[in-house]
Amino acid sequence: MENNNNNYDVVIVGSGIAGSIVAKLLTNAGKKVLMLEAGLAAGIAMDQEANYKNYQDYLSTFYNASAKVPNSPYPNIKDAPSIDVLDIKKTPSTEGYLVQMGPIAFASDCTRAPGGTTLHWLGTTLRMLPNDFKMKSKYGVAVDWPIKYEDMNRYYEMAENEIGVSGNVKDQNYPIEQKSVFNKDYVYPMKVIPISYLDKVMTDIIDKNSKIILNDKAYKLYCISTPQGRNSIPNYDYDINGVAWNPGTKKLDITRNRFKEGYNPVGSNWDPYTGQRCEGNASCVPICPVQAKYNALKTLRKCDMGNLSVKTQAVASKLLINETSNWINGVEYKTYIKGSSPEYETHTAKATIYVMAASAIENAKLLLASGAANSSDQVGRNLMDHMTVLRWGLAKEPLYPYRGPGSTTNIPTFRDGEFRKDHAAWILPLDNWGWAWPTFSPGSDVTTAVSEGIFGKELRDRIENRVTRQFFTHFECEQTPDPNNRVTINPEYKDNIGNYRPVIHYNATEYMLKAFEASGVVSEQFFDQCGIEDFTEYNPQDPDYVTYKGKGYSFAGAGHIVGTHRMGFNKQDSVVDSDMRTWDHENLFLVGCGNMPTLGTSNPTLTMSALTFKAAEAILKQLEQ
Amino acid sequence: MEPISTSKLFLEASAVFTGFSKTELKATGMLQSYHNTILKNTNKEDIDYFFIDLNQLLTDPKQDAKSIKHILTTQFMPISAYGSLAQNMIILWYTGNWGNDVISSASYIQGLMWDTIHAHPPGAKQPGYGSWSDLPLSVKQSTVKSSPNGK
Ligand SMILES: Cc1cc2nc3c(=O)[nH]c(=O)nc-3n(C[C@H](O)[C@H](O)[C@H](O)COP(=O)(O)OP(=O)(O)OC[C@H]3O[C@@H](n4cnc5c(N)ncnc54)[C@H](O)[C@@H]3O)c2cc1C
Ligand code: SF4
Repeated sequence: MENNNNNYDVVIVGSGIAGSIVAKLLTNAGKKVLMLEAGLAAGIAMDQEANYKNYQDYLSTFYNASAKVPNSPYPNIKDAPSIDVLDIKKTPSTEGYLVQMGPIAFASDCTRAPGGTTLHWLGTTLRMLPNDFKMKSKYGVAVDWPIKYEDMNRYYEMAENEIGVSGNVKDQNYPIEQKSVFNKDYVYPMKVIPISYLDKVMTDIIDKNSKIILNDKAYKLYCISTPQGRNSIPNYDYDINGVAWNPGTKKLDITRNRFKEGYNPVGSNWDPYTGQRCEGNASCVPICPVQAKYNALKTLRKCDMGNLSVKTQAVASKLLINETSNWINGVEYKTYIKGSSPEYETHTAKATIYVMAASAIENAKLLLASGAANSSDQVGRNLMDHMTVLRWGLAKEPLYPYRGPGSTTNIPTFRDGEFRKDHAAWILPLDNWGWAWPTFSPGSDVTTAVSEGIFGKELRDRIENRVTRQFFTHFECEQTPDPNNRVTINPEYKDNIGNYRPVIHYNATEYMLKAFEASGVVSEQFFDQCGIEDFTEYNPQDPDYVTYKGKGYSFAGAGHIVGTHRMGFNKQDSVVDSDMRTWDHENLFLVGCGNMPTLGTSNPTLTMSALTFKAAEAILKQLEQ
Repeated sequence: MEPISTSKLFLEASAVFTGFSKTELKATGMLQSYHNTILKNTNKEDIDYFFIDLNQLLTDPKQDAKSIKHILTTQFMPISAYGSLAQNMIILWYTGNWGNDVISSASYIQGLMWDTIHAHPPGAKQPGYGSWSDLPLSVKQSTVKSSPNGK
C-alpha cells in the first residue's frame, strides 16, 4: 500500500493518549495510519534536537507566564484554540473557545497540541472500582456500563504498562466488598513513588482520629498511596513486556518476559537517560521539565514510523457520510499556515476505518457538525467532570508543602458505599502544593503581607511560618450523567477558520449539591480532628458558585472531560457499543473519555486508555475480517 | 539634590527590606537585572529621594535598630511613599515579578519565597528523587545548628 496515495487503513484524528495508543498498536500490527493533529508542527518533532528545543520553549513560556495555569506552557493557536481555565467566567459567556450558556460554567480545560492534554495532566492512575460499572443496578443511579470490571482487568494491565505506573498494589485498600481488584500476584511496573513528608505527618494524625459522622453513619478516614504515571524504581517482580496483536486469535496479547528483568522506565523524548526517575520538580501540572511524568508523545514514538504519516496543523472539521451505506467516506480537514491568520486550505483524508480521538468535547462537536452517529440523540449529552470542592487550612506544625508530585496519597473512604444512592461519591487526595490552587500561594501570601507593611526579617519569618503549614485537599465528586449537561453547536459561533465552537449547557444536579453539602460536614470534622484551622472561603463572585440549603460552595473542574458520546447496550441508549464502534457507522470508532457512561471516583485517563486498547483490538479484528 | 549612585545602595536597601543577607541576595545573580527593573519602572524623582533618604537614615548615628524600623515602616513601606518602591522591590525579590509581569525565567527561578518556605520554584532547582519524602534539607541543617525555628 502507498502512503502518499490516500490509501490508509485508518485515519486517526488527534495525537493525545487515545489517538497515540491506537496508532502504536495499529502501525506495529502492520497497518497504515494517517494521523491528523490540530496542533503546531513543532510539537511533534521526533528528532532529538528539535524535540528538545521545542520542549525548552514550552518550559521557558511556563517560567515567564504570570498565571501558571495548566495551558500556560503551550501555544494557544487562534486557528485551533484550546479550552482554557482562564476563560471561565460567570455565564452566559462567549470568552475563549467554549460558548458557555450556563446556568453555571463548565470548569475544565484541555490542550490542543501534539501529545494532547497529557502534556499537563497530573498523572494519577487509579482504576475504577467494580461498583462504578453498575451504578444503576447497585444504587439505582445513572446507568450501568455494558462492560464489567472483570472484563476490564486485562486492559487495565495493558494501560498500566503503556503509561508506566508506579505504585504499590498492597496499599490499594478500597471501601469495597472485594479483597482486591487486581489479579493474583500482580504488581505495578514501578515501585510506589515515595509519599511526601506532609503525607506522613497527616497519615499519622488521621490514623489516630476517631470516626466521622455523616448522615448518622460513622466512617473511618484512612490514607493510601496513589498510583501514578511517573517514573520511579523498576519493580523486578513485574514481568509484562508489552502488548502485541495476535493475528491468529484476533486478540491483543500481553507479552511477558521469561526472566524477571523488570520494567524499563521510559525517559524523556529527547534523551532516554533524562527523566528515568521523578526528580521532584513539583510542576507536573503544567509541565514536567524532565518528562519523568508520562505524556502521549512517549507512546507515539513507539509507533512503527514506516506505517505512520502525521499531518499537523490539520484541524478536522467534518466527517463525510456515504448516504446509501451510511459508512464514513472521509474526514474533511483544514490546514492553517500560521495559526493566527484566517487563511486555510481544505482537504479530505480517506481510509477504511476512522477513529476520532480529539477528546470528549471536540469529538462530540465534530459529530454534531457532521450529523454523524446521533440516531440515539445522545451525542454531546451527559457531559461530566469531577466537580471539585476545594478545602484549605493551616496545620499546627509545618508540613513543608510545595515539594514533590502534586499528590502522593489519597483518602478513599468515600469512593464507594450505600450513600451513593443519595449523593455523589468522591475521592479526597492530600495535596502537596499548599494553597497554590485555591489562593495562588505563595505569591499571594507575599503580596498580602507586604501590603500590610511587613518587611525584612519579620516578613521572612511570617512567610516561612504560615506557608510551611498550608494544608490543602479537594473533594473530587463524581458527577453523574444528565442529558441536559451537553455540547451543542450553533452557526452563530464559529472560530477563526470557520469551525464550530462548542456551545455548553451545564448545571449541578441535586445529587451533586448534596455531595457538596456532605463534603462540608466531613471536612469540618476532619479539619477539627487534625487541628487544622479552616481558611476555606467561597466567594459568590466565583464563576462556579452554587448554593444549597442556604450555604454557598464554589467548585472547580478537575480536567476530567467525560461522557459526551456514551457507550451503551444498544443503538437507542448510546452512541457507541462496547468496542467503541459507533452504532450508526460501522467504520467509525470513537476513543477517549467521551465513551465513559459514568465517571467513578478515579481520574479517568487510565480507564479510558484501557478502553482504547479494547477499541484497537476491535479495529484490528475488523480490518482483518 | 546631589545625584547619587543607587547601585550600591540598591543592595543595601534590598537586604533591609527583604530580610535576606547581602550574600544571599548576590548569590541569586539577579542584582543587576532587578536594579535595572526598578530604574526602568519607577519615576526618577521617587528613586532619587528614596535612596537619599534611606542612606541618610541608615548612616545616621542617632538612630538605633528600633527607631530605624519605625521610620522604615511609617516613611518607606506605605504605598504612597516613593511610588511604592519599597513594596514593589520586596515583591520583585520574593516572587520575581514586577506587578503581574514575570521579569525573566531567571527571576522566576530565583524568587526568594521558595527558599523562605524551604521549597524550590516549581519546574526548576529540583531536589531529586524522593527528597519530598523527608524534611527539607534547609530545615534539617538548621536543626543541626539548633536554630530557634529548627524542628
Ligand atoms: C490539569 C489537568 C490534570 C489532569 N490530571 C489527570 C490525572 O491526574 N489523571 C487522569 O487520569 N487524568 C487527568 N487529566 C485528564 C487527562 O489529561 C485527559 O483525560 C487525557 O489527556 C485525554 O486524552 P485524549 O487523548 O482523549 O485527549 P487529548 O489529550 O485532549 O488529545 C486530543 C488531541 O486531539 C487534537 N485535536 C483536537 N481537536 C482536533 C481537531 N479538530 N482536529 C485534529 N486534531 C484535534 C488535540 O490537539 C490533541 O492532540 C487531567 C486534565 C487536566 C486538564
Ligand atoms: S515531581 Fe517533577 S520530576 Fe516528578 S513528575 Fe512532577 S514535574 Fe516531573
